[in-house]
Amino acid sequence: VDPNNFKTCEQSSFCKRSRKVQSTGSKYAIIPGTLNSYADSLTADLVNKDNHHQFTFKLEALMGNTFRLQIDEKNPLRPRYRVEHALKGKPATTQIRVQESQGVLSITAGNSKAVIHGDPFHIEFYEDDVHVVTVNAKNWLYFEHLRQKAAVQTEGAEGAEAQDANPDAIQPPAETHEDPGAWEENFKSHHDSKPYGPEAVALDFAFPAAEVLFGIPEHADSFVLKSTSGTDPYRLYNLDVFEYVVDSKMALYGSVPVLYGHGSQRTAGVYWQNAAETWVDIHTAETNVVSSLVNFVSGTRKTPPPSAHFMSESGIVDAFIMLGPKPIDVFKQYAGLTGTHELPQLFALAYHQSRWNYNDERDVATVSAKFDEFNMPMDTMWLDIEYTDGKRYFTWDKFKFPDSLAMVKNLTDLGRHLVVIIDPHIKRDNAYFFHNDCTEQGYYIKTRDGNDYEGWCWPGSASYPDFFNPVVREYYASQYELSKFKTVTADVMLWNDMNEPSVFNGPEVTAPKDLVHFGNWEHRDVHNLYGHMHIMGTFAGLLKRDPNQRPFILTRSHFAGSQRYAAIWTGDNLADWAHLQHSIKMCLTEAVAGFSFCGADVGGFFGNPEAELLERWYQTGIFLPFFRAHAHIDTKRREPWLFPERTRQIIRSALLKRYSYLPLWYTSFYELEKTGAPVIRPMLTHYPHDKEAFGIDSQLLVQQRLLVRPVMQQGVSKVDVYFPAIDDKKNGDYWYDVDTFERQERAGYVSVPVTEYKIPVWQRGGSIVPKKERLRRSAPLMLHDPYTLIVCLDRHGKADGTLYLDDEKSYKYRDGEHIYVNYEFEQNQLRNNFIGKPKYKSNAWIERVVIAGLQLVPKSATITVNGVSQQLEVEQQGNAVIVRKPGVKMDVDFALKLNY
Amino acid sequence: GEVPRPRGVSLTKAPLYQPQANGKWTCLDGSKTIPFTHINDEYCDCADGSDEPGTSACAEGKFHCVNKGHQSIDIPSALVQDGVCDCCDGSDELPATGCSNSCQELGAAEAIKRRNEAEVHRRGTEKREELIARGRQLKADRAGRRSELQSHIQEQERLKSEKEQLKKTAEALESEALEVFKEQQRELNENTAQAEEEPQQMRHEATMSFVRYDTNKDGFVEVTELMVDMNLDQDRNGVVTVEEAKYFLDERERVDLDAFVTLAWPRIKPLKMLAEGLFQPPLEAPKPPEQEQTEHDSPSEERGDMAPEGELEDEHDEGEEEEDQYDDEEADVGIGEATPEIETTTTAPNYDPETQRLVEAANEARNAFEEVERQIREIEHEIKEIDEQENKDYGLHEEWAVLDGECYTYEDREYVYTLCPFDRVSQKPRNGGAETTLGRWEQWAGEGEDKYSKQKYTQGAACWNGPNRSAVINIKCALEPKITAVSEPNRCEYYYEFETPAACDSEAFATAAANSAHDEL
Repeated sequence: VDPNNFKTCEQSSFCKRSRKVQSTGSKYAIIPGTLNSYADSLTADLVNKDNHHQFTFKLEALMGNTFRLQIDEKNPLRPRYRVEHALKGKPATTQIRVQESQGVLSITAGNSKAVIHGDPFHIEFYEDDVHVVTVNAKNWLYFEHLRQKAAVQTEGAEGAEAQDANPDAIQPPAETHEDPGAWEENFKSHHDSKPYGPEAVALDFAFPAAEVLFGIPEHADSFVLKSTSGTDPYRLYNLDVFEYVVDSKMALYGSVPVLYGHGSQRTAGVYWQNAAETWVDIHTAETNVVSSLVNFVSGTRKTPPPSAHFMSESGIVDAFIMLGPKPIDVFKQYAGLTGTHELPQLFALAYHQSRWNYNDERDVATVSAKFDEFNMPMDTMWLDIEYTDGKRYFTWDKFKFPDSLAMVKNLTDLGRHLVVIIDPHIKRDNAYFFHNDCTEQGYYIKTRDGNDYEGWCWPGSASYPDFFNPVVREYYASQYELSKFKTVTADVMLWNDMNEPSVFNGPEVTAPKDLVHFGNWEHRDVHNLYGHMHIMGTFAGLLKRDPNQRPFILTRSHFAGSQRYAAIWTGDNLADWAHLQHSIKMCLTEAVAGFSFCGADVGGFFGNPEAELLERWYQTGIFLPFFRAHAHIDTKRREPWLFPERTRQIIRSALLKRYSYLPLWYTSFYELEKTGAPVIRPMLTHYPHDKEAFGIDSQLLVQQRLLVRPVMQQGVSKVDVYFPAIDDKKNGDYWYDVDTFERQERAGYVSVPVTEYKIPVWQRGGSIVPKKERLRRSAPLMLHDPYTLIVCLDRHGKADGTLYLDDEKSYKYRDGEHIYVNYEFEQNQLRNNFIGKPKYKSNAWIERVVIAGLQLVPKSATITVNGVSQQLEVEQQGNAVIVRKPGVKMDVDFALKLNY
Repeated sequence: GEVPRPRGVSLTKAPLYQPQANGKWTCLDGSKTIPFTHINDEYCDCADGSDEPGTSACAEGKFHCVNKGHQSIDIPSALVQDGVCDCCDGSDELPATGCSNSCQELGAAEAIKRRNEAEVHRRGTEKREELIARGRQLKADRAGRRSELQSHIQEQERLKSEKEQLKKTAEALESEALEVFKEQQRELNENTAQAEEEPQQMRHEATMSFVRYDTNKDGFVEVTELMVDMNLDQDRNGVVTVEEAKYFLDERERVDLDAFVTLAWPRIKPLKMLAEGLFQPPLEAPKPPEQEQTEHDSPSEERGDMAPEGELEDEHDEGEEEEDQYDDEEADVGIGEATPEIETTTTAPNYDPETQRLVEAANEARNAFEEVERQIREIEHEIKEIDEQENKDYGLHEEWAVLDGECYTYEDREYVYTLCPFDRVSQKPRNGGAETTLGRWEQWAGEGEDKYSKQKYTQGAACWNGPNRSAVINIKCALEPKITAVSEPNRCEYYYEFETPAACDSEAFATAAANSAHDEL
């Protein structure tokens, strides 16, 4: 990437202005006597004591230890934008109790409490009486009220529309007026007309109980956020970045403004709901051994608590303060606000084979057949932009794809799927129906003077539908109907790319900020939501096309809440080891920000991976939820059979491993939909006390069952794995190597030898993992295959774990047509415990039970079903024993006892 | 009658699936002994998967489709009972799946296909015999021609020394006469100073060139110093040889300034003029290649890293144009052999008749000598060409030789593709535009016994942001030579499907057919 194509904070006038408050501070205070309290909320007026401008704030108590704080101007010159469609619905509120003493207000809701200080205005939040968040701790609240442009500056700028001058709004000149970037701004050859002038909002949040901060994807950076002192802030602005660099705070394709503070006792979070360009400064004392020792000895913090300063270009202050107390609680609280990805069809969790581009029907058929020839499973073939007729979406290149329906059928006959790309840029071509419709109906985003905006993208000159307009979304969604899009079937799923939106000749490769959207909002206000609105349209279209098939969509641009509609990938990465390592860091951050369904292009998008890198990338990719190989058009083909036998075998064995764990992935996604608990998790999620584990982002947990530490370095024969501690005494869980069942009993770093085949993965003692160990060519063909249960015992000889199954495709599971069961092992006995009534009829059965951690090898096992008992063989295999063929159906109660 | 055997086991392996006396059975890899009833019980007991030939229980197992009426095959156990009919007899699925038995039809169709193929091979082989005969004839012709040329060259070498001797004699007389003549001229010119202007300018030019050539500044221009000037590469083979350079130095190792001015410069100057475009040799005046080129020489457009489609295509085209320029250079036939006789076209001074006679005699001797040299070069060139052809592998029986020199084309929507076997492959846009070389003959690339089933062409025009283009030709037997398809699965890597009777071999086809039909029937 050439960083010069993108702004620094210094080049962004609002960032520069908002950041300046860090040295001057601000003066906001509650206006006495303006307080009103309601059943679930409280409102009051605020004043900026420097310019006497007035604001109102509202603090609302939400279900689930969460508060919502909103600050807006009391009488704005024009309405300020409030984010829509990010929340999954209107958050449920809860009762509050208000107490006042000595000018300080306490608001209590359940376990949480907000303490409001009037002057200087700030709010402290407590969880079970522990102080976890302070809003405006440093008095960096900064709110640029809307104003008339001073006369002297009007000349030459023909856009000061606010004629109905509100006398209240005319303010004495403030520092914002002196900023030359306040009323217009240039970057490279681009001009931003800024007709409404300065309108930034900024606020700081301190986390007194935290030691590390994380969140605010998407950045190619470590999981734990770094201090921005001396660097630019982290930037949230959806951009198409070419060959992005790693270890960077630069903006990427998605923006999820949620941030968490974590300490060993408490975890809290802030969701800053703003869709405008946003910069986030991170203030953390660089902790070292000495300072943490001092803290430990003194029992108090000697360094200021970590804090974050959010700065957005427009909109209002709309912040959700989530009080935990544990990491998993706060992740669920955030999911409670913005939702989760719904349970995907099983195929979407299997292996995706993509490339820019599979050239024609024969190419697609050949690649699919090659997977069969080499007996490797593959579920989905992808078509990038070249399948279209000249980059006109919803059309096909009839020469290369004369009979796409037959091509699709050849795939679906084998249980496979096809995904095609539909981007938001629309070719400006008078012979293209979509363009004509949008032109005639006025569906495109407009320039300031009311014309259709024209940018440059893959098709050449292009315009961009205004998906913020519900009528446009409706029109777009209807294009997916099979009566219109006749060249696909309801089994063909979608990929929405370039939806930041990417505009090759636009400022920072995106749309100008002074474009105008539905409702007369500026692009500036809604930029980070554009992709979100795009995929909302796609999702509605797919549901409409086939109401009983769960849609699968992949998107590049995303915002808070986009996880309800689509999976994401980390964009245009590079075929190098650093990008492989960042695939985990980035997806972990996305996962805690709602996007469990995350993956990276396996092999790297740009460049040609050498065999070893490709092998290791497959081995890593199988343990990220979205698993797709993809490559740039200029790269060499890299399907597994094009490599030597060794590489082919390594990749095949990785693929088989992925497929064997599909029941775990599927169950995890069901539980994600149900509870909001991320599918993949950073170590601190379940080991919140282990400070050593906070910053570990080279390994991940799959739920609380697997610990994955893929090999992501070149030419190594061992890797250092960190087994986290469950308490202060360095006690750890038991962990069983999933290949050998060799047990790790101790917390701390362990150097583990690896071969080229080895993927270092452990199953936690105390967990049961469901698997399917039979090979098929695609996931849907595994539907009736039997299950294997892997039981790994804890120190007390116990384990448990859930399994979820249904038809893997339809919405019937919402009517209870599923089987959800918790398996429990204790005292040498395995039992099932159905959660809800099993209402799905499955032909599947339990093929084997593998038990690791038994002290003695049992002689046999007895299974009892409906009062009938049967002897089962038990066989020792390495460090585990295998109970042969229990044979019981999935919806039947049983008890399986080991005999000694 | 059928011998009872477990589902999924072939007839040949049936004897391996017999219970022992105790009702046990041992995995085929010997790893384990299990109850015979565990065979095909939907549980994988044997590491080699041999206990579950009829189920999907073992990941690495095999299922045998009998496919009566068609060909028996082994399929991976992953395909057993997955709801997809893989065996044509449907035996891999349970009856409920409803697979139809299509083996008879398929078998019949396959038999017809094989018969047709065999017929094509049979008739193709006849054609191939002709190709072989012609190829062998060509080889014999080449050998004959080569020895003819060899003796010819010896003859010419003899002639050359003869002519050289004559030339030396004539030149000695000439130079003696010229000395005298020059002496007279000098006296004469003392009076007519301005008449000297032209030779003086010539001398000035020559002196300047001398200084330029004399890179080591030792007062002499040596053979090696001339060899760096590619303008002197008369046979245009890319190097100025010692012989070529010596020619310009009057066959000496080195010359001083005077000798350079009088002997070397007159020979060098015409080539300089030629190179500068100031002079065109009288024979076959070339059409300047620039004209064609400039038409496509669009100003190089900005190449954004993320160029939109239009630009990308431009880029693509542009790359080809660039390449085309190279093509023009190498395919350039216009300029022809630079002729040293040019000298004679410059106006000669007015010699007295005797001197004139001696000069003419010397010129004649020189020309005669050069003519012999030229002929030797021509013969050497032809020998080289023959040797190059000899080094190309035209197959075990010379059956491919006839294809060298032929070209075949194939048109798709956008391009006309050309294959000139043993030479090059190329691509040209149908709607006009320059031709792009996709590769030059490299070698046969089939594996093992199939060596002659693939050709590889490499070192084609460089791709923008990518490698040099290359092409692989997959070859099949057919009665008429034809390209049937061209694809570009990787950027800048092309695949041609090419058919020719040269690839027909009914014997090998029959053997292969017999081998594959060796299954259970």
